[in-house]
Amino acid sequence: MACPYLEYRSADGHASFDHERAYCTASSSLVQPMRADICNDRYDLDHERDCEIYRAHAEVE
Amino acid sequence: MGYDDYLAAEPVIVTAALTGGVHGKEANPNLPETPAEIGRAAAKVEAAGASVVHLHARRPNGERSFETARFQEIDDAVRRHTDDVIIQHSTGGTGAPDDVRHQPLRTDPPPEMASLDMGPLNRYDRLTSENTRALVDSLHAEMVDRGIKPELEAFNDGHLNEVRGLLDRRDLADPVYATLIFGPGTLAPPTPGNFLNAVRNLPEGALFNTLGFGRHQLPFAAMGVLFGGHVRVGLEDNVYYERGELAESNARLVERVVRVAAELGRPVASTAEARAILGLK
Repeated sequence: MACPYLEYRSADGHASFDHERAYCTASSSLVQPMRADICNDRYDLDHERDCEIYRAHAEVE
Repeated sequence: MGYDDYLAAEPVIVTAALTGGVHGKEANPNLPETPAEIGRAAAKVEAAGASVVHLHARRPNGERSFETARFQEIDDAVRRHTDDVIIQHSTGGTGAPDDVRHQPLRTDPPPEMASLDMGPLNRYDRLTSENTRALVDSLHAEMVDRGIKPELEAFNDGHLNEVRGLLDRRDLADPVYATLIFGPGTLAPPTPGNFLNAVRNLPEGALFNTLGFGRHQLPFAAMGVLFGGHVRVGLEDNVYYERGELAESNARLVERVVRVAAELGRPVASTAEARAILGLK
């Protein structure tokens, strides 16, 4: 299951893209491609375990 | 390798790391991501003097891909656009299972070279690219089977021990070719002293390539030139041309390091010379 803070957007206010890119609503920023694998729980990755941004925001909420 | 090689004006191999897999167009919109963009970028860096292109694969939205088919698309595009550049695939992949890490080696034809990460590397706050000895050995075994030259990536001094360990465990074709990497985090701290120490700690006869991240790219390339090494530049490792100014292209970074090498008296290796230096067939 993908991170609940993950969205795909074709623009971020500064730039627009041909393909929608990963955007983190917790950090209000585009996501680096490598980090997007964590957001999507790809390979052996898990956003609840591996993403410090998710963990910090989940604790606050 | 050393200062004597500089004095002898031995040719310097320029590798262009075109795309990478950590950051993408969100960091610099000029960074090539698609096979067509990477193919066009390869043509421009080849014209600028690069003889090796270091390649990662990405999905259409810029996210990482390790699939053989995606590397094949990229290689096909690079070959369409270039004359004779040496293709080097990355086998790096934080968080990816070991079997996935082998997939970049399985294109047809295989790449002439592939990276081989020599040990652990921390990423963000909670990830480590483990690069166990078992994985290093299995990747090397497949490279041998497919006739691929390994580029041994040493992220820090401890990884130079790992290079020696690999030489103890397995037969590596001469010359051994290692990339010395300097930057933040797990990487060797980017100081001239650490650079000289790394060069001194290389196994006898090993050739080295020099990689500085971010603003260290140009000064470390210059040190590589001066101490008889080879150099890697490109948007994978550094998205800026100078402080506050994003690089227009990979080619601009290659053009600059070619000028530096020429001013310092080392010619840039042609692709044929690079193949001879690296022992490629």
